[in-house]
Amino acid sequence: MTTSVSTSTRRPKRKRKPRVVANTIAVVFCLVWVFPIYWMVNTAFKPADEVTTLTPIWAPLHPTLENFTRALTQDGFLVYLRNSAIVVVAAVLLSIVVGFLASAALSRFRFRGRRAILVAILFVQMIPSGALLIPLFLSFQSLGLLNSYIGLILAYVASVLPFSIWVMRGFFVAVPAEIEEAAKMDGAGTFRILWSVLFPLVMPGVIATSVFAFIAAWNDYLTAYVMLKDQGMYTLPVWLAGFSTNKGTDFGGLMAASVLFSIPVVVFFLIVQRRLVSGMTAGAVKG
Amino acid sequence: MTSTAPRVTEADRADRAQEPSVTRRAGGAGRLRPTGSGPRGGRGPGRRSVSASRAPLVLLAPAALLLLALVVYPLVRLVVISFQDYGLRAIFTGQAGFAGLTNYTNVLTDASFWPVILRTVLVTGAMVVGTIVIGMAVSQLLTRLGVVMRTVVSVVLVLAWAMPNVASSLVWQWLFQPFYGVLNWLITQLRVFGDHTQDNWASSPGQAITIVLTLVIWQAVPFVALTLYAAQSQIAPEYYEAGALDGASAWAMYRAITLPALVPTLLLVTILSVIWDFNVFNQIWLLTKGGPEDTTLTLGIWTFVKSFVSNAYGQGAAIAVISTLILGALTSYYIRRLVRSGEEDL
Repeated sequence: MTTSVSTSTRRPKRKRKPRVVANTIAVVFCLVWVFPIYWMVNTAFKPADEVTTLTPIWAPLHPTLENFTRALTQDGFLVYLRNSAIVVVAAVLLSIVVGFLASAALSRFRFRGRRAILVAILFVQMIPSGALLIPLFLSFQSLGLLNSYIGLILAYVASVLPFSIWVMRGFFVAVPAEIEEAAKMDGAGTFRILWSVLFPLVMPGVIATSVFAFIAAWNDYLTAYVMLKDQGMYTLPVWLAGFSTNKGTDFGGLMAASVLFSIPVVVFFLIVQRRLVSGMTAGAVKG
Repeated sequence: MTSTAPRVTEADRADRAQEPSVTRRAGGAGRLRPTGSGPRGGRGPGRRSVSASRAPLVLLAPAALLLLALVVYPLVRLVVISFQDYGLRAIFTGQAGFAGLTNYTNVLTDASFWPVILRTVLVTGAMVVGTIVIGMAVSQLLTRLGVVMRTVVSVVLVLAWAMPNVASSLVWQWLFQPFYGVLNWLITQLRVFGDHTQDNWASSPGQAITIVLTLVIWQAVPFVALTLYAAQSQIAPEYYEAGALDGASAWAMYRAITLPALVPTLLLVTILSVIWDFNVFNQIWLLTKGGPEDTTLTLGIWTFVKSFVSNAYGQGAAIAVISTLILGALTSYYIRRLVRSGEEDL
């Protein structure tokens, strides 16, 4: 609310002109920035003969769902969707449950080594994602975990867990100590307090963190590309990235598949967008 | 809806930063945080505080196990591998001989090494500068808009931000497709640059880097713009009112009031952008695979190619170690600040 107040107190003094200029710039900016997304959706709804034209067709003349049905039915889309869903949900659940407990320990208790652990968790987030992949790949190779759900789940936990601990800790820290003290006075034990008192309070934070974790794992291409060899094990990004080379120039199908793949992420983004900025910055900076 | 979105941050963070120092005084190993002053003080170390001191260990144990196995051990192994002769043979036999510094000397004397380093730094720099400059402009723009327009811009930003980068890379391929790419057509229509309808952007050095940069910047601007806007909306309007009374121009007020207030946030988004852009992989790999003629070959791509295309895991690991050190050097200021702030309130 502060902004609307501040802008309205400031604005009457300005003339009309700056708002016109600002609005014009904003419209141009929006057109430029939304265009790639528009063009993806636009192409996805076009019949084949309107996709590859020498002069662009700005909106589908004969809108069709054939690209979507082709993407959904032809190529094992549902298999890749299932692979993605299994791996991502398992990795997120594991990271969130384990991370929840750890972030509780790191925020509601004081003990020796706590600060060192926190600094280490921060440091881990600065390591290039590709760097961990080499040793993980080689270890999983000798353990027979390549090309398996478990291997990919563990690889995602490696990247998502430190981040989840850090972000959830920020939400824990925001809960006033008095609430916990009151529960303690009533005779509740440590785990009782954690489950019945703290968990409901940090629930929104846990949900937001889960969504971040989901998006990170859902979007991963590199790890899955390296770890998965059988096409039957592919996750959606790996399949999608190979789509253009497999299908030549079926850009209608490719754009339809991109739309389908992006929808869950966009929906989740819109749900948690209030917490997006704070969550992302908290993820890499002190809470 | 988005208009109310991002401005929680700064206040939130300030609150949280305050918090722990209050509880710090409570001290005491392994106690529940609200040690308080009164009733607890006289109790002494009874049975309960013993069980409480075990609680954090129990809570931490699963995460510690996973992180030790999946992060700490692999990191150690990465360094070990970088000193080993680890190729395809090692994969099949499970035996890798000690190679001393061979991997590092091989990498350092590779004709690609210095060009790759230089390119990575330059490309990262271009991405970061482009993102920050546009992000600052958009953030300033947001403060000048009415509610409706601001919401529209925010929604557009969130959409661009939300696109999975695999999907946006494919969209970029399509936008710049020879003959059918809509941007090839548009650029040609401008009649300034000549006929570009048949260009295959990924196969010409200057154009390949252009599509990579535009894609990364397009996707990175929303986070920077929204974060800066959140910080900007925290600046008290009185400053601007005073400035307006003194007859200061908009530019003067931006420099004297807005910029100084934005410095901490700018620093933060710059460092985060450096970390993220330094590690860009998907967009480059999907658009150009590091080509043509290595003109988009960055450290991340080179690590991948050495390890997973050439199966020279030892050299790949050496490059990964070097990349980590370079990124560490680039962000050392930030890390130092973090650790220092860690001393205060972690």
